[in-house]
Amino acid sequence: MNPRTRKILEIVLDNLVWFMLLFVLIVFSIFIPNYFQLGIFANIIEASSVLGVMSIGLALVIIAGHMDLSVESVAALAAMAVGILFCSAGIGFGIKLYPEWLMVPVSLLVAVAVGGLIGFFNGFLVVKLKMSAFIITLASYIWVRGLVLAVSGGRSAQDLAPAIRWLGIQRLLGLPLTAWIAIACFVVFSAVMAKTPFGRHLKMIGGNETATYRAGIRVTRNLVIAFMLAGAIAGLAGWLLAIRTSGATANLGVGLLFNAFAAVVIGGVSLKGGVGSLPGVYAGVLLLSSINTAINLMGLPANFTQVVHGLLVLAAVLLDTFKQNLRQRLA
Amino acid sequence: MTEPLLVLEDIRKNYGAIEALKGISFSIGRGEVVALLGDNGAGKSTLVKIIAGGLEPSSGRMLFEGKEFLAKSPAEAKAAGIETVYQDLSLCTNVDVVANFFMGREITRKVLGVPVLDERAMEREVAKALANAGTRIPSLRTNVEHLSGGQRQAIELNRFVHWGGKLVLLDEPFAALGVEQTRRGLDMIRQVARQGIGVVIITHIMQQAFQVADRIVVIRQGVVAGDVARQKTSPDAVINMITGETLAGAGPVG
Repeated sequence: MNPRTRKILEIVLDNLVWFMLLFVLIVFSIFIPNYFQLGIFANIIEASSVLGVMSIGLALVIIAGHMDLSVESVAALAAMAVGILFCSAGIGFGIKLYPEWLMVPVSLLVAVAVGGLIGFFNGFLVVKLKMSAFIITLASYIWVRGLVLAVSGGRSAQDLAPAIRWLGIQRLLGLPLTAWIAIACFVVFSAVMAKTPFGRHLKMIGGNETATYRAGIRVTRNLVIAFMLAGAIAGLAGWLLAIRTSGATANLGVGLLFNAFAAVVIGGVSLKGGVGSLPGVYAGVLLLSSINTAINLMGLPANFTQVVHGLLVLAAVLLDTFKQNLRQRLA
Repeated sequence: MTEPLLVLEDIRKNYGAIEALKGISFSIGRGEVVALLGDNGAGKSTLVKIIAGGLEPSSGRMLFEGKEFLAKSPAEAKAAGIETVYQDLSLCTNVDVVANFFMGREITRKVLGVPVLDERAMEREVAKALANAGTRIPSLRTNVEHLSGGQRQAIELNRFVHWGGKLVLLDEPFAALGVEQTRRGLDMIRQVARQGIGVVIITHIMQQAFQVADRIVVIRQGVVAGDVARQKTSPDAVINMITGETLAGAGPVG
């Protein structure tokens, strides 16, 4: 094999999800009437913003060799906190700040702080007490959702303050600002993971924690930060969710966790840690979203989406094994 | 050699009722190569981990450059100038050669106040270091998982030569190396020692110890069973010390 074909093959392997996305979009555009429209593509991006943001945080901890099952509940709690503070109907207090735009940063700060706090709690227990991330975050998944139910009393908050809601309505180049926020998150965190020492260290910790410790990298500190980031980013996802639904309900976002896992795995992140990149995860999110859209357009019952997602995860794992084999032959 | 680089005084390590080290005392001078020999389970690796900051001794003290020294983590030992190459390789196979070489010490430049990895500068340094050592690796950007055992070990050895420091601990560094690479590795050790860096090398292979070391320290059952200059001993005498056929601390034989 000459170096050129080899290089091309490497690029294809590295960005396999993007090619899959492209392939799926082309196939859908050809075979599903009305699929090929700018509005549909905008809708795909828009619909994937909450899931996309949540997947970033999840991917960070998984790349660092751990796991965070609590992101879904954390997002719900952050959304509920924002809802209770800034909604005017239901259980909302309807707090008003002047000038009104001030509510945007304040609500964002509340959501991120709620998430970061729970993330710190998770990280501290996992890293300092050396408990399994699976168990700790499973517990958080349960108790945080419980907290959402408890503080809301099972009721909902509606009518989010228009100043915040504006972010979900105002469009720029056909996409609402909330979608741009999600895209910005991907750009920023992709850069952090690929270009900064912190990102490099997280990846190496996921690869061989002992080696990084021996090399003098502050493993515990980095991991706690990763968990905090996962929590804070989940909080941000919750904030976007509250904006999208103009409020918060007690069962907001249920099921997102599994979609996030699916997106992360499809995006090429290995659950063993140390492998994967965020652009791939974004492609995974878009892939899920475009399939959902296709199912909607074809008028299939929505229940089929679950079946398709599940098969997609299986396909992703199989593909990953195949990729590994191919790479070994390349090296 | 005036003041020794590192002095160990009565280092003990207990695991519950088991005494792994029962009072180890010896010293290493600047530019000196000390071969640490001993049978399996004699406590060599434990001792190295204590010096390198991976383990805390139960009692005893260490003087590094004349000052009391105890590293609580590998990071502290590194900051003091102690580099370690471990028996089980300390590489992250999921990243490339350059990232491994600079693990924890990445070259960065500030972009808008944020530290950003300077990949080009790092790649240049690695290429230079590997070329100096005569190590050939096809691409510095391939992940280490695709490299052979020998290439991996070469990366680790070059890494310690490059970073130097004041004291280098090598725990069976040549286990996966071929004849030629081992010879080059031993040359590297002499070269490092000539720069005034102290070297402690653990090995099972008597021939290597006699090729490279200035002094041979034998540990048996957690105590120093012999501490002799290389010229004043022979492989047979050292084997006797390892297996315990001479009295502990008997010193030069033959």
